[in-house]
Amino acid sequence: MGNMPDYNCLSQGGERMNAPMQKGGWRQGVIDGLPLLGGYIPVAISFGVIAIQAGFSTLEATLISVFIYAGASQFLLVAMVASGSPLWLAVCMTLLVNVRHVVYAPNLVPFLSQSKVWPYLMHGLTDQIFALAHTRLPTMNDSEKVNWFKGVSLVAWFSWILGTALGGVAGDTLTQEWPVMDNVMPFALPALFLVLLAPKFADKLWSVVLLTTIFTALIIAQSTFKNAAIPLAAITGALTFYLLHSRIDRKQPYAN
Amino acid sequence: MQTEIWVAIVVAAIGTYALRVGPLLWTQRHFNKHKANNSQAHLPMWLSVLGPLMIAAMLGASLIPKEPSQASWVATVIGTLVTTLVWRKYRTLGLPVFCGVLAFGASLALSS
Repeated sequence: MGNMPDYNCLSQGGERMNAPMQKGGWRQGVIDGLPLLGGYIPVAISFGVIAIQAGFSTLEATLISVFIYAGASQFLLVAMVASGSPLWLAVCMTLLVNVRHVVYAPNLVPFLSQSKVWPYLMHGLTDQIFALAHTRLPTMNDSEKVNWFKGVSLVAWFSWILGTALGGVAGDTLTQEWPVMDNVMPFALPALFLVLLAPKFADKLWSVVLLTTIFTALIIAQSTFKNAAIPLAAITGALTFYLLHSRIDRKQPYAN
Repeated sequence: MQTEIWVAIVVAAIGTYALRVGPLLWTQRHFNKHKANNSQAHLPMWLSVLGPLMIAAMLGASLIPKEPSQASWVATVIGTLVTTLVWRKYRTLGLPVFCGVLAFGASLALSS
């Protein structure tokens, strides 16, 4: 398939390509996970603050982050419980928001090593970990993949848990004293996603499809359907991909 | 907290984990079956296309500033440009993100 993802995309710099092979998987995973802290900690602090306001204790809010560990859906669950919504509905809505995760693991399977621990590690498969793993795993030795995934996902998980606890204990004070953390640090997430996608913009078809997806998500995320922004934008992007792909296929016989 | 609320949280946690691990097990079984038959397994095209598109959608959704204003949108554009330029020069992961955040923060600070 000519237009499939360029899995060596981060490798184009040469020096970067060999880095994961030379360093231990764990160490590389931790290093790769560091940019996530800028996005995870401020959002987790916000979650801690909101959970406390909704009547949960710091311990309860932290346990939610430990066990559910899925950003937007945690906010939704806590808000619905606090507003007295039926609990079955709150659970259904939480799962609906998280249903996008079903496409993540299958996209990683071609690059996973033969190890029985992968299913246990899937608790850590958040949006951001998927984005990193989708780009990094294809460039790594099989022997380092499990440790890399453990390193990167533990950094993310612990930062989420720690941020929630901090938010529960002193969230209001923290965001007031250091507004830079609340306003500036979260830009680390779009910057990270941009870096992960950047190599694909070398391809014209993918450039159009990715820009369509990005702007669709940007628009929907500002509407009342913001929780559906990611799946709806991805579907729009997929339709654009198929439309352009079929047009290119039709044009090719005449091109020669 | 009431027991029913804990039950709801546990169900949501198990459900979320199932959404992450279920497709992994299914796809691994599919790939292993092909391997046993000495044939090559492929992901359906739509599924492999969705991978990068989910990342693009997350990028779009996360670009919206926490407190949207002209200054924060300008900072977003500047942060995005700096991230892209630094990536083009160094092709690494951490440095472009660091510089992008720095440029975003500097732009916000200068405009306030």
